[in-house]
Amino acid sequence: MRVLTVDDSRTILAMLHHTLTNAGFEVLQAENGQVGLDVLGREDVDVVITDINMPVMDGIEFIRRVRATGRHQSLPILILTTETSQDKRDQGRAAGGTGWIVKPFDPEKLISVINKVVH
Amino acid sequence: MSDLDEFKATYFDECSELLLELEEQFAAIQDGDRDGDRLNAVFRAIHSIKGGGGAFGFDALVRFAHSFETLLDYVRDGKVELSEDVVVLCIRAIDIVADFVEAARQEQPLAPDYGAEEKAQFDALCRGEALAGAGAPDADDGLMDEFDLDFTPVMVNLEADQYEHPTTGASEQTVWTIRFAPFATLYERANDPLLLLRELALLGTMTVTAELAPIPALAEFEPFGVYCAWIIELASETVTEDAIREVFEFVDGDCAITIERSAAVASTLEPDEFPSFALLAEEAQAERTFIASGEPDEIIAEPALVAPVASKDVTGPSAVAPAESGGGRAVGMQSIRVDLDKVDRVVNMVGELVITQSMLTQQMDDAIRDRYQELVRGIEVLAQTTRGLQDAVMAIRAQPVKSVFSRMPRLVRELATRTGKKIRLETVGENTEIDKTVIEQLSDPLTHMVRNSADHGIEDVAARIASGKPETGTIRLSAEQAGGNIIIVVEDDGQGINRERVLQLARDRGVVGPDQQLTDEQIDNLIFAPGFSTVSEVSDISGRGVGMDVVLSNIKKIGGSVHVRSRAGRGTRMTLRLPLTLAVLDVMLVKVAGAPYVIPLSSIVETIQNSRADFGHMPSGGKVLQVRGDYVQVVDLAQRFAMVPAETEDNRFVVLCEAEGDSKIALVVDDIIGQQQVVIKSLEENFERIEGIAGGTILGDGNVALIVDVQSLQPGNAHRNAA
Repeated sequence: MRVLTVDDSRTILAMLHHTLTNAGFEVLQAENGQVGLDVLGREDVDVVITDINMPVMDGIEFIRRVRATGRHQSLPILILTTETSQDKRDQGRAAGGTGWIVKPFDPEKLISVINKVVH
Repeated sequence: MSDLDEFKATYFDECSELLLELEEQFAAIQDGDRDGDRLNAVFRAIHSIKGGGGAFGFDALVRFAHSFETLLDYVRDGKVELSEDVVVLCIRAIDIVADFVEAARQEQPLAPDYGAEEKAQFDALCRGEALAGAGAPDADDGLMDEFDLDFTPVMVNLEADQYEHPTTGASEQTVWTIRFAPFATLYERANDPLLLLRELALLGTMTVTAELAPIPALAEFEPFGVYCAWIIELASETVTEDAIREVFEFVDGDCAITIERSAAVASTLEPDEFPSFALLAEEAQAERTFIASGEPDEIIAEPALVAPVASKDVTGPSAVAPAESGGGRAVGMQSIRVDLDKVDRVVNMVGELVITQSMLTQQMDDAIRDRYQELVRGIEVLAQTTRGLQDAVMAIRAQPVKSVFSRMPRLVRELATRTGKKIRLETVGENTEIDKTVIEQLSDPLTHMVRNSADHGIEDVAARIASGKPETGTIRLSAEQAGGNIIIVVEDDGQGINRERVLQLARDRGVVGPDQQLTDEQIDNLIFAPGFSTVSEVSDISGRGVGMDVVLSNIKKIGGSVHVRSRAGRGTRMTLRLPLTLAVLDVMLVKVAGAPYVIPLSSIVETIQNSRADFGHMPSGGKVLQVRGDYVQVVDLAQRFAMVPAETEDNRFVVLCEAEGDSKIALVVDDIIGQQQVVIKSLEENFERIEGIAGGTILGDGNVALIVDVQSLQPGNAHRNAA
């Protein structure tokens, strides 16, 4: 199972990488939405975890673009966010986000959320 | 290093970068650039600092950053005006965030009310109150309540109801009837009813009936149409409505869902009516077990970060982990992060390699060249490759001086604000690259020099107008590479150094003897003399308890020099000369009293045979060398280091060196052996500091040679050495 993690924070990317590889996932990384799109263009992944607040291309736009690609219409995308308000989460969902994970994430919870959206 | 420590190291690294970014962005904002991108960037930076801090439980940091972030969010949305006062508050807050980060790094908590005043001001601003004086920190603040809800530290266990599971032993079951009708949007967001049902099946015994009636005849069937709905009966002893709703959390609004509680029944339902879903439930359970490597109930009790998420040796039909997953593939990253220690090791080893190579080259005499042409060619290629390798390795550790320069605009603004002066900062050549180790040593001296220019150089507005200058003073900061050196110049168009006053102070403080006559240049350079600046003389801006002499000693420590030139009423120019790297030094190998010494090549102007040198004698008894009309003071190294020359006077050599600025010094040595590269070893670390010696090195033949510290042998310093 391959996960693409998209976040501008190296700390978060490192923690995701650690948690996910320990759980047996293969982890791909991208530091913003644009890079994330590039990765998706050449790699097949089973699930995407993306931050919302990122430079160059934010998570909302990233999700929108992913969904606009035919082959990624049923790719589960989890939004990683610490937003207090529901605004960003709702925007992310409106763009096509499948679910969300609240930062700081608990490793168990992270895996359980992923298992909620992938076969 | 544990995983957690490693993450922390990553986090602190990242924080340093983010803090720098914050400073840069706010500097531009304060200059009037209120671009939306800048606000987004500062918001993101604080957000990231907070996010990471939350993961490690740095509560004080997170709390402060949260208030800061909330304010920035309000500013971004136009709910709070970004007035000058707010910008100043934000800039102060960056320092506080930096202090919190440092405190977390050092694991030394700050005072409980640290930053409370600023935080209270943030919260007040967000409540729509004007920026007032110090507000008392308000613990019952509404924003904090919201915060507390959002930020459950990661160490805390999950809420139990997320893993609501049927427990065995209880007898009474509740049957829930759930009708679930997805909308098209559910599918558009890549949610899958099958997965939801699988999740639901984990909660209890489930039977599912599909509502097939709405499915049209094939002719009218829309391929992407949504027709199907499900009725689910879920029997469980413990499941609550909340737990069921939690399963449908991600599809809230994307489906019609009703949940009804039927009467409790004593007996279990027959689950085999729809065997496919019973199987599905089992499968799902199996998969969950693989992921969680244990009963979910047990996991809840374990501390989050230390609990192994899954043991890799779990195998089974549903273990879908690809074998190569261990390393993880960092696709899309254009750079990798390497521990600096590792790079340093490579740099040092390459240094040694360079020296071994040059030793090999030196040992090739004509006889060898004639006899082993192939070998000689090989060694020549090796020399070239080694040089290339050295350049490439040094490039890894090189950084643009920008990282130091970028702190200066803010410093200058602060100084201008506090002194009421008008000061503009120009920076040139900030992409010039220097070795990281040099950059680290550069920050403090440079800060000091800029402070000095702003504090003592630039006049106040009235004085500037009176002397016919533009009312805004200019400090110019420039960096350029010149050969093996980096030249950094701090220049201002202020009043210049007040030589009378400097000389008077120097005499008062005993830095200069009462009868000693000094040139203008020597007087200017007195500002770097030890004991010249004192706390009483240093204003609250220029001084943090240290004087400019610290600048000089710091710069000298890394093999650099500093030189000042000033013109009354016109301005002051301070020139820093730094080596490109601290690792390898090009030197000339000389002999003094039979022992090898090395002199940095960068400071050597020329060498002259003693017999051809034009010496003169000063009335005081000192020797001078006449070079093209200039008189240069002569220092006999043998004498200086209290040894007896091994050669007769005429067979000895003079090495003419350039020190700070244009000042020169002539060193007399017994013999000149040749040029080579050496790796510098610190004397302080291995032995102790010796005046006149900058360090040591190990030569190719295993002998130790001392590196002559040309700067400290200078005439200007001679009187101190003699005293």
